[in-house]
This record gives sequence, structure tokens and C-alpha cells, in this order.
Amino acid sequence: MAHTRFFQETLANGLIVAVEVMPETRSAACGFLVRAGSRDDPPRLAGMSHFLEHMCFKGNERLTSEDLNIGFDEIGADTNAQTSKDQTFYYSWARCEDLGRQIELLAELMRPSIPAGEFEIEKDVILEEIATYKDDLSALAYDSLYEELCPGHPISRPVLGYEETIRVMTPEDMRDYLGRKYAASNMILIITGNVDPAEVMGLARRYCGSWPSVINKGRDGHPPALRTGATGRIIDRFHQQAVAVAFPSVPTTHALDETAEAVAAILGGSNSRFFWNIHQKGLATRVSVIREEYADFGVIILVGLCEPENAERLLEAMRREAEQLTRDGPEPKEIRRVKNHRRTMLTSESEAPGYRLGQIADDIDYRGSPRTMEERLAEVDAVSADTIATYLRDYPIVGEGFVATIGPRMWLSAK
Amino acid sequence: MTPGDEHVHYLRLANGIDLAVLPTGRRSVTAIEMRFLGGYAYERPDRLGVAHILAETMTKGTQRRDGRALNDAFDEIGTSYAVSAARETFVISCVCLPEFVAQAVELLAEMINEPSFPGEACEVAVELARQSLAALEDDPLELAKKCLCQQAYSPPLNRHVYGEPATVERIGREDVVEHWRTYLKPDRLLVSVAGAVDPSAVADLFERLFPATGLNDPVVNASLPLSFPLGFRPGQSHRQKDLEQEQIGVCFPGASAVDEDEAVERVIIGLLSGGMSSRLWQSIREKQGLVYWVGAWFDRPRTGGMIHLGSSCTPQNLEATSEMLLKEVNRLADDVTESEVQRAISGILASAQTHGDVTRAKATRIVNDLFYLGRPIPLEEKLSRIRAVTIGDVRQYLRRHPREQLSIVTVGPRCLKDFR
Repeated sequence: MAHTRFFQETLANGLIVAVEVMPETRSAACGFLVRAGSRDDPPRLAGMSHFLEHMCFKGNERLTSEDLNIGFDEIGADTNAQTSKDQTFYYSWARCEDLGRQIELLAELMRPSIPAGEFEIEKDVILEEIATYKDDLSALAYDSLYEELCPGHPISRPVLGYEETIRVMTPEDMRDYLGRKYAASNMILIITGNVDPAEVMGLARRYCGSWPSVINKGRDGHPPALRTGATGRIIDRFHQQAVAVAFPSVPTTHALDETAEAVAAILGGSNSRFFWNIHQKGLATRVSVIREEYADFGVIILVGLCEPENAERLLEAMRREAEQLTRDGPEPKEIRRVKNHRRTMLTSESEAPGYRLGQIADDIDYRGSPRTMEERLAEVDAVSADTIATYLRDYPIVGEGFVATIGPRMWLSAK
Repeated sequence: MTPGDEHVHYLRLANGIDLAVLPTGRRSVTAIEMRFLGGYAYERPDRLGVAHILAETMTKGTQRRDGRALNDAFDEIGTSYAVSAARETFVISCVCLPEFVAQAVELLAEMINEPSFPGEACEVAVELARQSLAALEDDPLELAKKCLCQQAYSPPLNRHVYGEPATVERIGREDVVEHWRTYLKPDRLLVSVAGAVDPSAVADLFERLFPATGLNDPVVNASLPLSFPLGFRPGQSHRQKDLEQEQIGVCFPGASAVDEDEAVERVIIGLLSGGMSSRLWQSIREKQGLVYWVGAWFDRPRTGGMIHLGSSCTPQNLEATSEMLLKEVNRLADDVTESEVQRAISGILASAQTHGDVTRAKATRIVNDLFYLGRPIPLEEKLSRIRAVTIGDVRQYLRRHPREQLSIVTVGPRCLKDFR
């Protein structure tokens, strides 16, 4: 289907500029996606990508951090950034009349000078952020699972890094990493909203056209081999126990991507099997299915929080539901219901430029171009009992998997 | 189209429902926000937590279908809905595609008017509430908020949604039914609808599906409060807890939603923590690296308001962070600049335009108007008040709202000795 409102161009330096015109809106959102995340961190400097994301707000030779902060606030922009295992995304959302200033300021963020004084102050902020996560049972469980699921692989390291790797980082380390990863050819500029594509392209050339390019070798490395087995960690200051079991799943561009979404929703979404057969039996305060997708692999995680003495029962219950779905397949009404839900959710997400930005960014990064809403809805429509059976055959969610638990109790048999 | 260029249709229906409809003309989703005046502030003191149990059990079946069938029916039309207990209101939110609005409201009406409250669902909800109360110990920020609210607010506005272990234990099906029967009636209901809808068709729908007969009882209703006075209790307390970080919560009285200072207070919150150049962000995080998060916000019951300051930090930064929190508020009165005020105003105005593109946000704004102000207020009128705020107003507000008396809570491994 033709995408009549979408425009994409690659500048001479390799920067991809993508625009989706949303004429019915009154705002515009901009984002720079950098193809660098924690899996790209040098091993002895785990946390580099995330720390650099913070430092990008600290200014350069043209604008101080104060200039940047004031600049964004003067146009009332909603500005933030986030780092994941394979991307760093900087975004801002403001009135469409402030589009030029938004792009100009965001572009300045991408050229930080890493001032030494600011670096040391921000190091303390990062250490505080790590401390915040240490008080969060779900976050600890997530990081613990990844560390043991594929030990030694770059994806296993936490996005924030470790206290010891943060402490030894220097501004020089960061500038070196910046030079390698923040080249124009490793970045995508995305704009959504009530904008003129020609104007956007002109602004992109003006503010980003002189950025250096590098020969893009792509990401070093290989997809992780996901282990089976189990790991447990006792932290007795928590009152609940986190229990998770992970299985390999599809990478993000796989034809069964939307089917994997449906499987996760049937098992662990609202009005799901987990909800009725686990949560509504009083076994877990929270229980769900999380999907993580990357360009080269995917993971599906069955996860719940429960009282420590219920840990075994929770794991058994999650496994039982997965086995039953695999054995008997979904009911037709389950497929209908998750597809209907998905349609409403996608429509809702696409109505505002700030939300649509994220949808488009992932599509361009992983697929090369965005899917229209019609294309996405067609993919939802294509989910069926057959595609679900194929997914569960090719990506089984039964068997050992990899179990991780954190909380006050060690209950796994391999103590 | 400007942010204020909208027309809200407001009606008091014959069944007592206050209804506001914003036709957007845009075929995206439709959002429905319902608020019954029956949140957890209305609970019996010996049954604290019952409104939350009601929210959990109301979705578990009606006289016509069991819980799964009810939820399947919502899913069949791709309708997302959520039921929750808030402090003063019982909240039902719903998002659907425009073609399913009538069916969605019919299902909502069935759930609200004819819940079956299965005994087993009530027992499970009580058990899960007990577990959730225990799980609060694993959520330091929420725990600090709960402690601060209990200390600073007058009853019954000082309660927590989950109630207390002793009161939750006592809750039975009959208590759930009583709360539902008493408070979930059309004449205690505020509704907003935003989306591609016809206002008169929506009004007909809500009038037809929520009959007054048998539900509204003028004699009983006259005896039920519509709000509670907010009192402030200063104090300082510490909850010893083995954590990596200390949670710090501070609050003091602020403006109510109908107060003439309301817009000024919004600007002040913007000055303190509205953007990356705001005072708390700059002085505590950016210049000193003391914290990862710090913020200021207001909390507004129907009759009053409180300003909150909060942060978390490792124990060695506790004194410095606490001191800076209040110092920054006090310093505002002395050295706030015209450009800062203009930036805070810009942030609020821009947010109205960006988040104004979200249908659900529109519906929430309008139902909040019904709750606080008794009628929908044109967005442009609100934005004009924000635009009119001056540096003098900010200074005057800070003089009129002294901060000699504070309520302070810390949760973590160290006790804060002397806050001031």
C-alpha cells in the first residue's frame, strides 16, 4: 500500500531523514535514533551508551547545557532520551510552529563535547540511578535474568552498567565511543506531525548536513545463544519473590512477529489465561508475558511477582498455561479478542505525533522503512490459529527454558 | 485550529448524570471517562480498602454473564477499559473505536448496574489486596507517599487505596455490595466523552442505560457528602528500612482547583520542576549530582490542595538534598526572573497543544473540570489565565503560602536529624 504521507531521504553523509505528515494534529515530534545501545558498550566500560545519553544534554562548544535546557523549555518542548540494549533515542515534542528550533536543539544534543567537570557530576547522577534500580525488584530480576541467560554476550550486561565500570570511565573514553557511534551514517532523524516535508529536509541539511560519516560496518558480534537452566539470588530485604522463565522468540522483523504478540497477549495480557488462572486464583499480585525483540534475536519471558512461599506454584502455573496453549491451541474467541485489542491500541498510539514517533523509529531502524497503519492492521488480521501453531512449534514455550528468581527465598532445586 | 478551538456540550441528564461531550471530528479513538463520587475517602473506617475491592470484583461478572464472558464481550469490540478506586472518585475509563461507542457504553452500563459480585471473586480480591499491601514494602516511593499522606492530610483524605491489613481482612461481599449500592448511582456520576461522536446520541445513550429508578434515592443522597474538607498536619517522621536509597517526601498547603491562585501555582510547579531548566532539576541534579530524580507537583482533593516535593538519594546525600529542596522553593520568592516565568508558561501552553492531540487526555481534562469546577471550562479560558500570570503573582503567591510548617517523611536506612 502506498504511503502517501511518508517521506524519506538519505543525506550525503548517510543520515536517514524520515518524515510522516499528520495534518490533523497541531504538534510535531522529532527524534534522533542512534544505532548504539548497551550491547555496543566496550566490555570494561559497561554503561557507556547510557552515560553518553546523559552527557549529550551537557552541551558543546556552541551551546552550554544551560543554553540547551533553556532552549527546550522556551518552546515548552517535552524532551527526553532513553537507552536500550541496542538503541539510544533522543526525542522532543512541541508545537508545530517550533519545529525549526526543535530540530536545531536536538541536533546540538548529538554533538556533545563531554566537558570534564560536567562528566564527574553526571557520574554521580548515574550512580544514583543505579542505586534506584537496586531498590526495584522487577528491574533487578530483569537484569539478573539477562546476565545469566546469555553470559558473556554483550546483551547480557545491564543498560546502566555497573558501579565499578562507571567509576573508571573517563571523558576520553566517551569521546572515542562518541566518534565511532554518533556518525551521521549510524543515525536516523524522524519527524512526525503537522509539518512540511520540504521544510524538514532543508532543516536537516542545515543542522546535520556537515556531520561526519563513517563506513558503516554494522554491529560487531553475533546473536546470543540463549541458555537453559536456572539462576537464583537471595535478597532478603524484599517481601515478594520475582519468578521468570525465558524462551527464545522471533527477531523483530520476523514474519511471525505479530503472531508472537498474540501469543503473549493470550497468555499474559488483560483478560488472559494468566490473569484468570493465576492472578485471579490469588497466586500472584502481578503476572504477565514480556516480549523483547532485537534485529538478530528475540526473547519471550513469562514473569510474575508473588509471596515467597508461592514461588514454586507460580512457576508451575505459568508453565502449565504455556503447555496447555501449546497442546490445545488457542480458542477462536481468544484470537479474535487479542486482535481487536491490538487494533484499538495501534490506532490509539498513532493519533499523536509524540507516540507515532516511537512506532516509526523502530520500523526504520529494523525494517528500513515504516509500516503504515493499514499495513500494521493487515499484519494483525493475518494472525490465525495456524500461525500461532507455527510459532509455538518453531519457538516453543514449553520445556526447561531459563528460570530466574530474586527475593528473600531460594527455592530452586539447584541451590 | 488553536488549542482552545473546541466546543464541549454539557448537559445535566434527567437521571442526574453530569455529561460533557467533546466531538473531535477526527476518526481516531473515542475516550469515555466516568467518575462516581465514591472513592476510598467514602469508605467506612472499619472497612478501609473496600472501594479497591469493589473495583477488582465489579469486573468479574454481571447478572447476565460471568467475568470471562463480560471481558470477552469488551474484547470482542476491541474496547479497553479500566476500573479503579481513586481517593474521592470511583474511576471507570474506556477507549474504543468510534463505531463501537454504543456497544461499549451498553457493556459499561451492564457492569455498573448489574454486577453479580461472585463470592469467590470477592475472597480472591481480599487476598490480593492483602498481598498488595505487603508488596508496598517493595515499592519505596509509593510507601513514602503513603506515609506522607497519612501524616499530613486530615482524615478521610489521608487514606491509601489498599486500606489497612486489619480492615481489609474484615471485608466481605456484603461490604462490597453496600459501597456499590451507596455510591455508584447516576446522580453521583460525572461523565466525559471525547471523539468522533454525536453529542445528542451520547446523551440519549447515557440517559437510557442508566435509569434513575431504584438507584437514585434523594433522601439517602442528601445525607451523603460530595467532598471532604482538607486539613494539614505538619510533622516529621522516619520509616527505618533497609534500602539503597532514602526516599524524601515534603508537603505543605497549596491552592485548590477553584482558588484564584490556581494558575499561579501551576506556573510555580513549572518553575520548580517543569522542564530541564527548572530549579530543582538544575540545582539538585544537574549542578550537584545529588540525585537521579527530583520533582514538585500538586495534589488536589476537591476542597483544597497540597504542594509536594520529593526525591530519592543515597544516604550520604540525604541532608544536602533535603536542604536544597526547600531552599529552592524559598529562593524563588527572592530571585525568580521574568524569563523563567515565561518558560514555565510556555511549557504549560505547549503541553496543552501536544498532549491535546491525545483523545484520552481531552476526556480526562473535561471530567476533571466537572469534578473540580462543576462544569467544563473552555481550554482557552484556562490558557488565558496561565498567560496572565506575572512575576509579581509568583512572588505574592509565595508570600501568601508560608512554609514555616511542613510535613516531612523519610523512608530508608538513615533518619534525617534536622530538616531545617
